[in-house]
Amino acid sequence: MEKVKVEICCGTACYILGASRLVDLEAELPEEIRGKVEIEARPCLNFCEKEQLGGAPYVRFNGTEVMAQATPESVLQRLQELCGEAE
Amino acid sequence: MIDDLFIEMEATQFTKTGQAACGDDVQLLTIDKENRSLAALSDGLGSGVKAHVLANMTTTMALRFMQSNLDLLQSVEIIMDSLPVCEVRKISYSTFSFFDYRLGGRARIIEMGNPAYVHLRGVAEVPPVKDRTVVSEHWPDREVREVEVDVEPGDRIILCSDGVTQSGLGAGLPAYKFGWRRSGMLSFAQEQIANEPDISAADLARRIACFAKNITPEACKDDISCLVIYFRHPRVMRILTGPPYYKEHDAEYARQASLGEDHVVICGGTTANILERELGGRVKIDLKAMRNAGGLPPSGLLPGVGLCTEGILTLSHVCKALEEKQNPVGQPMAARQILERLLTHDRIEFIIGTKVNESHQDPNIPQDLELRRSVFRRMQTALEKNYRKIVTVNYY
Repeated sequence: MEKVKVEICCGTACYILGASRLVDLEAELPEEIRGKVEIEARPCLNFCEKEQLGGAPYVRFNGTEVMAQATPESVLQRLQELCGEAE
Repeated sequence: MIDDLFIEMEATQFTKTGQAACGDDVQLLTIDKENRSLAALSDGLGSGVKAHVLANMTTTMALRFMQSNLDLLQSVEIIMDSLPVCEVRKISYSTFSFFDYRLGGRARIIEMGNPAYVHLRGVAEVPPVKDRTVVSEHWPDREVREVEVDVEPGDRIILCSDGVTQSGLGAGLPAYKFGWRRSGMLSFAQEQIANEPDISAADLARRIACFAKNITPEACKDDISCLVIYFRHPRVMRILTGPPYYKEHDAEYARQASLGEDHVVICGGTTANILERELGGRVKIDLKAMRNAGGLPPSGLLPGVGLCTEGILTLSHVCKALEEKQNPVGQPMAARQILERLLTHDRIEFIIGTKVNESHQDPNIPQDLELRRSVFRRMQTALEKNYRKIVTVNYY
């Protein structure tokens, strides 16, 4: 099964507006999805320039799906859904 | 090529145990307009605050007089005449070593009472071109030695106080019956250079001073000062930050990052993206390191290109540390990595893209994000003033 890819934007705007809270995400992954997720930090995903996307911090799933105003809780919830769908 | 010579001058000092102030003083000055480097190391009579005042007066006056090209003997006489007289010993006294070098010329060293200078080319001692001793009419018992030496890239000159060469004296250690002596310090320096031919002035000065201090590990028996002057081709590093104003300049901008991984820092996410796109490769950020980033966004590496960090938050932190001369150790990871690179290079080239980052204008961003250009202006001043670096700025 292919892993769910998560990219966390670590650009200035995202970091100030909450991406710093996402750094522990990997450690907080529940046991059942831990092996199914691949988390990567990115220098900047350039979404902050696009106002219509909803606001920093941004996280991208599987290279396409963008989550605005990401929090550890919202990212974890979406990851559980994505891992469930993949099964 | 002598025109492309950088003079790294760095000193390490330790204060005699139990004293509030170091009785030695070291002052360094670079005069850019004259391509000239000056240094003065003085050891005041006794120790503590009184000795420090004597030493500091000596170094301060010495730099002023050398700057104004005052006659050697006259300078020394004025210094000796001006020092306050010690109530206990009824003399005014300090020993000193002065250094004066203009690019392309000979280096001049003037010493009185301090251990004789060391001039090394690789590990070999280099004899002076001129060597004379003069005696002042005011102070007939004080001999002043004036030496001229030819310098080449790679040469080092070591000046120190007697706290270095006399370390261990009287401590009952058979190996140091007469102290470490100049010969001991010289062999140690030669050994360090043989093991590490590119050792920086800062590292060599620190190692010599630490060795002297550790001969009697229980206490520092005298003030210890070691100054190393290293003539070398400048070590160049580049900091690239911010996207170019015109997108069509991206490729040329990215080419500026071709100095080697250890000599390039890329600050800013968009900048990193441009370099990834133009040069190929992908920035690797260690997620585990993120947790220890110490309050700044994490740093990464663009393999084969350079260190990557976030932009303005990290640079503002680095700027403050440079202005306050803070130790890189203990700084948040990204700031520490940039600071360590800055301090081990001689010429710092800022390559600055001038496009405004729209996202930083977001009113939701709670911090005052300073303008990139103003941070760089402050960094430039701090690097030149506090660290004697050569700084250039190019805008894209």
